Amino acid sequence: MSLPPKLQEIVDDIASMSREEKLETLIAYAESFPALPEWLKEERNKMEAVPECMTPVFLFGEKQPDGGIIFHFDIPPQSPTVRGLASILREGLNGCKPEEILAVPADFYLPMNLQEAVSQQRINGFTGVLAHMKHVAVPYLEKK
Amino acid sequence: MPYAHPEYLVDTEWVANHLKDAAVRIIESDEDPLLYAMGHIPGAAQVDWFSTLQDPLRRDFLSKEKFEEVASNLGITKDTTVVFYGDKSNWFACYALWLFQYYGYEKVRIMNGGRAKWEQEKRELVKDVPSFAKTTYQAKPADKSIRAFRDDVFKQIDSKKPLVDVRSPKEYSGELISMPAYPQEGATRGGHIPGAASIPWSQAVNEADSTFKTPEELTALYEGKGIKPDGDIIAYCRIGERSSLTWFVLKYLLGYKKVKNYDGSWTEWGNLVDAPIEK
Repeated sequence: MSLPPKLQEIVDDIASMSREEKLETLIAYAESFPALPEWLKEERNKMEAVPECMTPVFLFGEKQPDGGIIFHFDIPPQSPTVRGLASILREGLNGCKPEEILAVPADFYLPMNLQEAVSQQRINGFTGVLAHMKHVAVPYLEKK
Repeated sequence: MPYAHPEYLVDTEWVANHLKDAAVRIIESDEDPLLYAMGHIPGAAQVDWFSTLQDPLRRDFLSKEKFEEVASNLGITKDTTVVFYGDKSNWFACYALWLFQYYGYEKVRIMNGGRAKWEQEKRELVKDVPSFAKTTYQAKPADKSIRAFRDDVFKQIDSKKPLVDVRSPKEYSGELISMPAYPQEGATRGGHIPGAASIPWSQAVNEADSTFKTPEELTALYEGKGIKPDGDIIAYCRIGERSSLTWFVLKYLLGYKKVKNYDGSWTEWGNLVDAPIEK
């Protein structure tokens, strides 16, 4: 199964990097992570953060006129690794149609070999964020 | 009432005044290893529990020889005062301190309040990575009196000695194994070790600035749950980092003599065939 082109491009790009370059890329993603747009802040406050180990990841989907979805994330700056990893999905899937998002396999990240840069436990977070994005995408599926 | 061993704790002001002290090495140890790259205390080195302190193959910490290599690269000798600080109220700072103690390193400190307090006080953070003249550090043999293995836990249950579960209440009750949507650090069963008291780590820390609570508050907290100074205690959480914080509190802030950290914690116990579980 093929990934949306932008996501495929990112996966291929990261797959070709050394461990150091992977870390630098995650750091650059984390540093340029966009703040949540003002109009979503009120929505954000209604949601409950999950305590303890986990970084609270808040996610909103905004449907575009062409049927694509723009994702808005809120991830604290104290969690740069989570920001960096979520950026891969955000950049790779923003604007995609719900069908395309739902078709991304849960193990899409394996070729990037990120486990040489960050712990496996963190990488497992990909599954969580992707599942969350799919959950957001489902209500936007066009009725056939 | 002071802490039992106040010398193991330094405050942010002390650290700010010792940034250029050659006898002091400041080390950041975080849950999120990229935080160091975002900016750290001037002159601070980094250790990462995953890429620096763990054996890359076996589920264990570094061997004594590998630990000596890490310590030598940090440019420390047995006389260097090593100050740990980190994110998440110093979980992994305590974890690194515990491992340094495991290999006999004595002059360790925790910066009270950790990264959060340093940031709150708007103190300087830099991106320059320091380099140190390499030393030849010789570690002591592993000190098993501060580390519990699963067999120690079985014995602890049989002899009805105290166990402290420092995870969140829902992990203790078995409602959660790990956090929703994050299958990190998984176990196949939920619940707690039979007889363990539930004293979440966070109750030892002030939420506002991540500093430790007062000796009076800490005494009331642990003794109130039956965890007494003369007890032979084992603390655990999910992977051993949060329980390192509780271990530090019991051992150095309250002066309990016999405290072990069970680093296998729930990711081992909750996966162990035939191990008893309570819900």
